[in-house]
Amino acid sequence: MLEQFREVVLVDFEFETITDHPDPVCLGMHEVHSGRTIRLMRDQFDPVPPYGTGSDTLFVAYFASAEIDCHRALGWPIPTRILDLFTEFRDRFNGVSTVGGNSLLGALAQFGFDGIDAAAKDEIRKAIGDGTWRGKYTPEEILDYCETDVTALKRLLPAMLPGIDIPHALLRGRYMAAVSAMQRNGVPIDVEMLAKLREHWKAIQEDLIAAIDVNYGVYEGRTFKMERFVRWLTTNSIPWPRLESGRLDLDDKTFRQMAKAHPAVSPLRELRSSLADLRLEDLGVGSDGRNRAMLSPFRARTGRNQPSNTKYIFGPSVWIRGLIKPPPGHGLAYIDWSAQEIGIAAKLSGDENMMKAYVTGDPHLAFAKQAGAVPPDATKDSHEDVRDQYKQCNLGVIFGLGAEGLAARIDQPTYVARELLVQHRATYRQFWKWSDAAVDHAMLYGRIWTVFGWHVRTGPDTNPRMLRNFLMQSNGAEMLRLACCLATERGIKVCAPVHDAILICAPLERLEQDIATARAAMAEASRAVLSGFGLGTEVKRVHYPDRYMDKRGIKMWQTVCGLIEKRINKRAA
Amino acid sequence: MADCNSTTGLFQHKDKRVPMTDKDANGGGGNGKLDPFDPAALRLSQDFVGMSGVKKELVTVRVRKPGKQEWFRVHPGEDYRLSPLAMINLKEEGEYYVVDPSVYEALANEVIFVSLYTVITRQGVVTLWPIPLPAADGKDNEWWLSAREAATRAMTQWVRVVANKSNNANDIFTGPASMAEPEWPNRPFRDLLEIAFGRGYRVDSLTHPVVKRLQGLA
Repeated sequence: MLEQFREVVLVDFEFETITDHPDPVCLGMHEVHSGRTIRLMRDQFDPVPPYGTGSDTLFVAYFASAEIDCHRALGWPIPTRILDLFTEFRDRFNGVSTVGGNSLLGALAQFGFDGIDAAAKDEIRKAIGDGTWRGKYTPEEILDYCETDVTALKRLLPAMLPGIDIPHALLRGRYMAAVSAMQRNGVPIDVEMLAKLREHWKAIQEDLIAAIDVNYGVYEGRTFKMERFVRWLTTNSIPWPRLESGRLDLDDKTFRQMAKAHPAVSPLRELRSSLADLRLEDLGVGSDGRNRAMLSPFRARTGRNQPSNTKYIFGPSVWIRGLIKPPPGHGLAYIDWSAQEIGIAAKLSGDENMMKAYVTGDPHLAFAKQAGAVPPDATKDSHEDVRDQYKQCNLGVIFGLGAEGLAARIDQPTYVARELLVQHRATYRQFWKWSDAAVDHAMLYGRIWTVFGWHVRTGPDTNPRMLRNFLMQSNGAEMLRLACCLATERGIKVCAPVHDAILICAPLERLEQDIATARAAMAEASRAVLSGFGLGTEVKRVHYPDRYMDKRGIKMWQTVCGLIEKRINKRAA
Repeated sequence: MADCNSTTGLFQHKDKRVPMTDKDANGGGGNGKLDPFDPAALRLSQDFVGMSGVKKELVTVRVRKPGKQEWFRVHPGEDYRLSPLAMINLKEEGEYYVVDPSVYEALANEVIFVSLYTVITRQGVVTLWPIPLPAADGKDNEWWLSAREAATRAMTQWVRVVANKSNNANDIFTGPASMAEPEWPNRPFRDLLEIAFGRGYRVDSLTHPVVKRLQGLA
């Protein structure tokens, strides 16, 4: 399997992380065919790496985006064939428990190898990371430490290799290079506004509660009162999911879902989420005003990125995205696929009716028409309420929503939701056959996979709803990964991947051209995943000095800004 | 600990019996020679319907009139209905028994003659619907007539029937033409009859428990 490569290089860098970008300290490398091992401190590096980076060299690493970061820092070419044993370890054990997690040490333990002492490893890694290693450790010790990771790769590669599907693994490795590019770009932030927010956030919280709560009346001081919330829900006729105990389910995930169905809930959800989880100090913003967080690719079961909620600007508090602002002379474009999950479900299941609905551009209204709920000439405006019910059904089905859950979302009795689901099954019969078969396959044979071979495995606790959702989400993740690869390789500054979208940044005079290139990459990626069935994209543009804004967070953003301004004015007076 | 060294189980899709790519049976199989950046060559099949080998078995076919809230269709094929057919209807139990020609003369007072239609609901549930035929003297009634009319309409469109006692007939409701066509099970009518009547619902002798019950002997 490895013979097709002239070189197979196992690579590990140690690097400092005290500046905006990783700063390489040393390199350890072992070439498998020749047995050659190289250890170099930074001052021994040449202008090019001591190994090839073309298609005849297999570059092997564990969590390769870090190594690629070092290549970028050094101005070295990016390897074109990357085998990341981290992504392959995740793929191999996705959905089932592992002995010691997904770290290199965990992978070693999984295959029965001893790692170096974890505590000792943490100590030296920390010293290297924060740049305090000088004086504490000699270069020789640093190189010895670096080589332990190379040795780990030497053990791990042959153990994992029989289970690795090289072409698919290389596609995943390719994405790790895109991750490195996107992390390096980062998301431009209005640092002035961030400074104000950080300064005033604690002080405005009580006023903020009062300002938002004026429409709800559910807070007593800083305390969220359940009985008042029940009263508000009753007054506004909003049915709310309950726990088995009978208490209202106040989980943020539930709030988020309910805010989608009932926009009136949104400001309250933003407030609760921000008070509980927003830690502005954790939001990673570099000296260049860019938000950077480790994207944590392949961490989610679906293979999606799973960056830290507190460090990433696209975390759960959507109002905070108002901090995103292009630098002077630049513009941003948020480009997302239209109804991506429905397009994926339609094509991969081979459901002609669903594909027909998708290509109308409004699959929700099309579903209502196909089910005979609205006349053929109905429009989004003429039948808004009915369309919304069919939309919630369309989307809910993807997540395996049952009649009761759907009823809560559409604010209708359960029998209405049940009838919607019956209509969905009758209209999109092939989709359901495929979805049922995927669950059956997973439970019978232990796994299902995406078009590019990302697997989920089933265990005793596997939730069938997760399996039903998996193929849409994980193939969506494949699409996003490929689009990020294509866009970054074509020179587009992708700042962030966001679920079914990318955020790009470009000088204003080049913005439209870059948008066209990025959209072409996204269209190409959708055709690749869906056998030629291209998904459309929508673009939201932001030109300096405007800021990006998520419509769900506008009310909260405006309230927060108003309160801060008031405090500043008060202080000035 | 998970089985981490063996590829058995974890990589069953390399089995040549399972078609994996849209192009051929071994495309995803780790031979390592595919172009890692050619998506068309990398695609694995998502045809889980074909791969799972799972099929839904039809094990129950009830004999009844469709419920008043059920949208249904009637199989349009002549080979999916039977008329006339002798049956006994135990109204209290809501049960129908098919009566063998060898005994129905002896049970003449209990037997009704029906047309038996094959029905499918929106939920894909298959049932058989017995609709009485006019009596030997040609006497018919609006209940039966309207039921037959509903069955005929249901051969081409979705229908719902609701008993209207003040009218002594069934009200017939038809659904919009855009409602999706039903998917009939791939089973012959003979099999449906066997499933419906094969477990004691066929009266072929005068010692059948239903006959005894009608005679007050059980």
